[in-house]
Amino acid sequence: MAKSDAAAGEKQKVTLKKFFKNNFGFLFILPWLIGFCIFKLYPFASSLYYSFTDYNLFKGVSKFGLFNYESVFHTAKIMKSFSVTFRYAFITVPLKLVFSLFIAYILNFKIRGVNFFRTAYYIPSILGGSVAIAVLWKAVFRDEGLLNTALGFIGIQGPSWLSDPHYALYVICLLRVWQFGSAMIIFLAALKGVPMDLYEAAALDGAGKWRQFFSVTVPLITPVIFYNLVTQLVQAFQEFNGAYIITQGGPRNSTTLISLLIYNSAFKSYNMGAASAMAWVLFVILMAMTGIAFASQKHWVYYSDEDGK
Amino acid sequence: MKAKKLLAIGMTLLMTTGMAGCGNAAAGGSAAATAQSDTTTAAGASVSADAASTAAPAAEAKEENPIITTTGGDLNMSWWGGDSRHEATMKALDAYKAKSGVTVSYSYGAWSGWEDSMAAMFSTNTAPDVNQINWNWIYQYDAAGDKFVDLNTVADTLDLTQFDQKYLDMCTKDGKLAAVPISMTGRIFYWDKTTFDKAGISTPTSLAELEAAGKTFKEKLGDDYYPLAIGEYDRMILMVTYLESKYGKNWVEEGKLQYDEKQVQEGLEFIQKLETEHVIPSLATIAGDGADSIDKNDKWINGKYAGIYEWDSAASKYKSSLAEGNEFVVGDEFKDMGKYQGGFTKVSMAFAISTTCKDPEKAAALLQYLLNDDEGTTILATERGIPVSKAAYANLEKQNLLDPDVAEANKKVMDYNSFQIDPTFEASELKSTDGVYYDVFGGLSYGDYDSATAAQTLIDGVNTVLSAN
Repeated sequence: MAKSDAAAGEKQKVTLKKFFKNNFGFLFILPWLIGFCIFKLYPFASSLYYSFTDYNLFKGVSKFGLFNYESVFHTAKIMKSFSVTFRYAFITVPLKLVFSLFIAYILNFKIRGVNFFRTAYYIPSILGGSVAIAVLWKAVFRDEGLLNTALGFIGIQGPSWLSDPHYALYVICLLRVWQFGSAMIIFLAALKGVPMDLYEAAALDGAGKWRQFFSVTVPLITPVIFYNLVTQLVQAFQEFNGAYIITQGGPRNSTTLISLLIYNSAFKSYNMGAASAMAWVLFVILMAMTGIAFASQKHWVYYSDEDGK
Repeated sequence: MKAKKLLAIGMTLLMTTGMAGCGNAAAGGSAAATAQSDTTTAAGASVSADAASTAAPAAEAKEENPIITTTGGDLNMSWWGGDSRHEATMKALDAYKAKSGVTVSYSYGAWSGWEDSMAAMFSTNTAPDVNQINWNWIYQYDAAGDKFVDLNTVADTLDLTQFDQKYLDMCTKDGKLAAVPISMTGRIFYWDKTTFDKAGISTPTSLAELEAAGKTFKEKLGDDYYPLAIGEYDRMILMVTYLESKYGKNWVEEGKLQYDEKQVQEGLEFIQKLETEHVIPSLATIAGDGADSIDKNDKWINGKYAGIYEWDSAASKYKSSLAEGNEFVVGDEFKDMGKYQGGFTKVSMAFAISTTCKDPEKAAALLQYLLNDDEGTTILATERGIPVSKAAYANLEKQNLLDPDVAEANKKVMDYNSFQIDPTFEASELKSTDGVYYDVFGGLSYGDYDSATAAQTLIDGVNTVLSAN
């Protein structure tokens, strides 16, 4: 009996040792894991709970239900904000992808001072949506700003970019497209990975530069295009800075992106419940968009390790 | 392959949630960045001149300068404002340390975004011991009476007899003195006399003269010139002033809106008429100027907008923003709007002690120094407006430290305006850029609402806030 106990004890010791050996790596990521749980997972879960309540920062919770979700779909202001966000995403994402790929393609050529240009084109991404950029943007787009002054020189009377609800969103969109640096760098890395012999073969077959680009370059970098598409889509739906610092959502809510509305609801009206519900609807939309992107990839994304599938 | 796809989807999910965090961080960061600004004053401007310019929050939206926080004092304190107020307050805290041995750490920034961060601190009971507060915060954040100390309990240390009872009553809720008022304020007109001279007319002293000035400006100076420029919240206050002048009732009394739809519609049409008759520019025109506030608007600076309707405490700020050579004058309250003395006064700002403060007596002693002591009030001068503390006022008057423009504006407002506002008037659901006032006056100005729809929207919005409080 004592012998079998000792054996069992030994076995348990070995199992524990094995467990620690196998999971020793978790120790290294523990700081991140703790941070993730406290600053991401907990707020994430609690926001789901609050989305079913009328939680007000100063009045607490008094009722539970689906009312916040009902109001998301029945409040004209919220629906308009979602509509503005969709427009924003569908304008900025394609434009940013095309523009960053175009610039990356040019910067992939062996031209003098290319490192300077690469740095210069990346600067807008570093500047981001800061107060200084807001000042710059207003100076460019105000009624008597640089753009309208320039248009005036060629006899065109520019519109009121900042105060006309039909144009204000484009000003915000342009700020995002202007910050194309990170997408450009990723494209540049992908372009460098395209084998030169494929271009040589295509040239031998008589393909010109455009044909080479569309028949060789683009198919080979589709995984990176896909990656940029997903990340840009996620970022576009969560955009906040541009609308907050330049237009504050105006004029007439024409630039009230959903993130800004969530912020206003949470920190100006203190209505955390409604803000949480809007955030969760946004999350579901984001997941759906990402899911669609993933589902679509089998039709257009080429992975070289999958026999072309 | 399936595992790879699952991993990819899993990573995307993680990334999406992670980026949600980034998004929020960016939001907060940006909010802070914008909140953190204050371009207030020309360097070298006198303390008292700048001072009052930032006395009222509405007059100082979207200024730029970082939130500064220090730690480790015996007490901590928070305030918002412009550079000169920051400097004077820090100087006063240093002097207080020398006098009492009490070290005060602090946190300060500009108004824009300040309320958001203070709201978060009050809701999580992490606010500093002593706070400069906006009057409506007593009702907004201390609705349950658990955020601010009853200052009657520290009256042995803080001399409340220096304050008129009527002012203390304004900061009293359910028998508890939640804060001590620093200054009182109200709205008044300010004019750029130089532009009026150019148009060949004198600055308006009545509504009739102002309305006539619109036409004169258009004819003599051109379409870009307006005798008055007012934003959404200014329009709301002017409308209420008009209605009070005409009907002699407070906007809200005992939790009820005192005006019916027809009267509100009349008020909105009054404002809209000013716009159609070229007295004020449309909100689209002002937004198209691309300026954060009127004092930073080229058209005000250079005289194309020749008047504003602002807090009495904002006189110096608007005066100092005018181009050199343009003469700034404090206007008069219009007596021809109606038979009553329309316009309200309110507590501009107050000091409150948080209930989380470990030593309220020590905090009260600090307030006594800042509000009533000769040395403290001399250093702070009119940084927070014309003080209502009798001791402070007497000291500043004796030392000739009262800014003449602010003092003149304050006297005119206090002598004439005879109405009070309900604290919910400044509720963020109504007053913020996302609020009802912006929606109503924006809708009217942009032509999205007719006056009847706008009136109904305003009444519904006000009643919603009133019923929630």
